[in-house]
Amino acid sequence: MDAVRITNLVKKYGLVTAVDGLSLGVAAGTMFGFLGPNGSGKSTTIGCLTGLLDPTAGQIEILGHRFDADSADLKRRMGVMPETLGLFEPLRAHEFLAFVGRMYGLDEGTVRTRVTELLDALELTDSSKTLADYSTGMRKRVAFAAAVIHSPDVLFLDEPFESIDPAGVALMKEWLNRYVKQGRTVFLTSHVLETVERLCQEVAIIATPGKLVWQGDITTFGREGAIVYDGQEFDALEPLFLHLTGERHVDLKWL
Amino acid sequence: MNFQLIGHLIGLRYRLLWAKTRTRSGKIALFMAGYLLFLLVAAFFAIAAAGGGMVAVRSGQAERIAQGILTALFVSATVTSVMLGFGMNEVFSDTELRRYPLKALERRFARHFTGIVDPFWFLFLALYLGLAIGLYLYGAGSLVLGVIAVLALFVCNYLAAQVAGRAMERIMQQKGGSMILPFIIMVVCFLPSLAMPMLKKHAGAGKAVLRVLAFTPSFGAGTLMTRTGAAAFGGVWPIAWWVLGLTAALVALERRPPRIRVAQTTRIRWDTPYARAAKVFGPRYAPLVEHWLLFLFRCKRFRLAYVMSLPMVPFLLLVWTRQSARSNPFAAAVGVFAISGLAPAAAFLVNQFGYVGSGFRRYFLFPMDPAAALRASSVTLMALCSVYVVLAALAWVLFAPMAWGTRGFCMLLASGAFGLFTFHGAGLWTTLYGARRSDPNKTMGNDLSLAGNLVVIGGMLVMLMGPMMIGQVRKGIITPDRWLVVVGLAALAACFYLASLRRAPAMLSSRREALLAIVEGKA
Repeated sequence: MDAVRITNLVKKYGLVTAVDGLSLGVAAGTMFGFLGPNGSGKSTTIGCLTGLLDPTAGQIEILGHRFDADSADLKRRMGVMPETLGLFEPLRAHEFLAFVGRMYGLDEGTVRTRVTELLDALELTDSSKTLADYSTGMRKRVAFAAAVIHSPDVLFLDEPFESIDPAGVALMKEWLNRYVKQGRTVFLTSHVLETVERLCQEVAIIATPGKLVWQGDITTFGREGAIVYDGQEFDALEPLFLHLTGERHVDLKWL
Repeated sequence: MNFQLIGHLIGLRYRLLWAKTRTRSGKIALFMAGYLLFLLVAAFFAIAAAGGGMVAVRSGQAERIAQGILTALFVSATVTSVMLGFGMNEVFSDTELRRYPLKALERRFARHFTGIVDPFWFLFLALYLGLAIGLYLYGAGSLVLGVIAVLALFVCNYLAAQVAGRAMERIMQQKGGSMILPFIIMVVCFLPSLAMPMLKKHAGAGKAVLRVLAFTPSFGAGTLMTRTGAAAFGGVWPIAWWVLGLTAALVALERRPPRIRVAQTTRIRWDTPYARAAKVFGPRYAPLVEHWLLFLFRCKRFRLAYVMSLPMVPFLLLVWTRQSARSNPFAAAVGVFAISGLAPAAAFLVNQFGYVGSGFRRYFLFPMDPAAALRASSVTLMALCSVYVVLAALAWVLFAPMAWGTRGFCMLLASGAFGLFTFHGAGLWTTLYGARRSDPNKTMGNDLSLAGNLVVIGGMLVMLMGPMMIGQVRKGIITPDRWLVVVGLAALAACFYLASLRRAPAMLSSRREALLAIVEGKA
C-alpha cells in the first residue's frame, strides 16, 4: 500500500500554475526525498498534502484514504514540520509542545511525559526562554518535536535539517531511520543533496511548475554505483539533479 | 550625510505603502478614496486653524489664543499618536538600515525622517501652518517666523510622541511596570481635573501656571508666530531647548535598549492559572483557550493595552460625564459603558490571527475544525474584556457624579453588554476580511487594516458620541426610564454575536489561503 499517493495534482494561484499535473506514489515504510529547485512547487505540494492548501484539481490519498482539508482522522496520523515552522513565538517550548500534544488528543500524562522527554533529548530544557528568544536551529528542533510528539504514521518534513547543528541532525536522522524501519513513512524536502542521498531510499525530482521529471530508487548509488538516465550515467544525486533541472553557467564580468 | 540614499529610502517608504494596497483587490480604490478624504480633512483643518488665527487677531489677544490652540494641538497629536499609534510606525528598523552604507548618525536620521513624513504628522503640520497663515493674513505676525515656528513645533511634536511612547515601553519592561504605568497615566489624566478647582480658588495660581507654560514649545511657537523683531525671539528659546532636550532623550532611550527580563526558573510548571482558568470552557475548548490566554498575556502589545485600560476606563467615565454635566451626563455614561468592552483589546479582537505569525497554519494542521480556534479566541477575548464592563460598573457605583437608581444602573450595564457583543461580533468578521500581519511585541504604532480601524475608531466615536447626539436631538430620550430599550438592544447585539460566532468561523476554511498569505507576510 502507498502511504502517500498523488494523482494529477494541479494547484493554481489565479493565472499562475504552481503544480501542474503531479502524480507520484510513496510506499509505506520509505524515507522519501522530494526535490526540486526554488519555486518548483515543493512547499505548495506539501501544503496540499497536509490540508493547508486546496488543490485546484487532482486527488490525494494518505494511508489508503482520500485526503482533503477536513480529514481530521487522517490528520491525527500525520505529523508536519512546515517550512515556516508554525510556531507561536511568545510561548515557551514546553507550552507549545504541550498545546500541540493536547490538540492531537494525547492525554495529560502522555503529554507531560513526551514533552519532557523530547525537550531533554533535543536539549531544549531552558524553560525560561520563549520561542522568539531561541536561535533558528533551536526553533527548528521545537518544530521537529511538534511534528513527532503524537507518534504519527506519516511525517512531512519541509527542509528539516537546515540550520540545525551536526549533533542535532545526527539524532534526528537516527530517529527517522528507526521510525522508517517500523514501517512508517517520511516525506521530506531538502536542498542538501548529500543528506538526501545518504538518508532516503527513494527520490522524486520536480521542475517548475511542479512537474515530475524523475522518480526512482537511489539506493543504487551505493549498490550498483550509477543511475542511467537519458543515455548518461550519474554516480551521485547532485549531477543527476542538475542535469534534470537545468544546470546554468552565467559569467558576470564585474563579479 | 548621505542625503541621496535617505531620499531613496523615503521613496521606498511610499512605494511600500503603495505595494500594500496593490496586493489586495479593490484596495487601490480604497486607498485613493482614503487619501482624498485625508486631503479634504487636512484642508478643512488648515482652514479651521486659519480661522482660529483670525479670531485671535480680532479679539486682540492673538498671542494668548494662538498659544492655547497650539498647546491643544500639540497635546492632541502626542496623545493620539501614543494611544492610537498613528505616526509611530518605524518604517525601517536600525537593523534593516545596517545593510546600507550608512553611518550610525545617518541611520538614525533616516529612521526618523522616514517616520516623520507620515500622513498623520502632515495633518498636524497643516493645522499648525493654517494657524500661522491665519495670523499672518490678519496682521499678527511675520510669515517667515510663523513658518519657522511651525516647522520647529512639528519636529518637537514628533519627538515628544516618540519619547513618550518609548518611555512607556521602557516602563512596561521594568519589574512591576504593568502596575507603575497605569498609576502614572492615572495621575496624568486626573491632574487637570484636580487642578481646575484649585486654579479657580486661587487667583494668582493661574498666572503662575502661565509663567510655567511659557517655557513649553507650543507657547514659544505662539510667541514666534504673533510677534515680530526682537520680541519674537523670546519664543525661540523654549522650542530650541525642547527640541534639543527631546532629541537627547530619544537618543538616550534608543542607545540603551531595555534589558529583557528573563524568568529565573528552569522548572516546567504544568498547573498554571491559565490552565485552571481554561478548564471552565470544557475539555474541547480548554487547550485552545489556555493557548490564547498564554499567547495574549505574553504579547507586549496586548499587555500594554489591557493594563492601560485599567485607569482609562474609569477616568473616561468620570471625566466624560462631568464634562457633559450641563447637557446629559447620563447619556455620556451610556456611551462610555458601550466602549468599555472594546478598549482593553481593540487591536486584537478585530485582527485575532494577525499577531500569531506562522503559528496560524497550525490551526489547519491539527485534527480539528479550524473554526474552533477562532471561536476560542473570540470567547477568550470576550471573557477578558467583560472584566472592564464590571470595572466601569464599579467605578460608577463608587464615583458617579450624579444620582442614579437601579434602572439607570441596569441601562448602563446593558449598554456595556451591547458594546461588548457588537464589537466582538464585528471583530470576528474583520478578523476574516480585514486581517493584517502585525508584530505582537511592537507596542507602538497603528497596525490595523482599514476595516479594523473603522470598527475600532469609528465604533468608539459612534458609541461615545451617539447617545449624546441622540440626547441632544430628542430631549429626554436617553434617560434611565428607557432602560428596557437598551436591554433589548443588548439582546439583539448578543444575537448578532452568537450568529457571528456560528457563521464567521465556519467561513474560515474558505478564507484559509488568503489569510495564510496575509498572516505569514506573503500578501
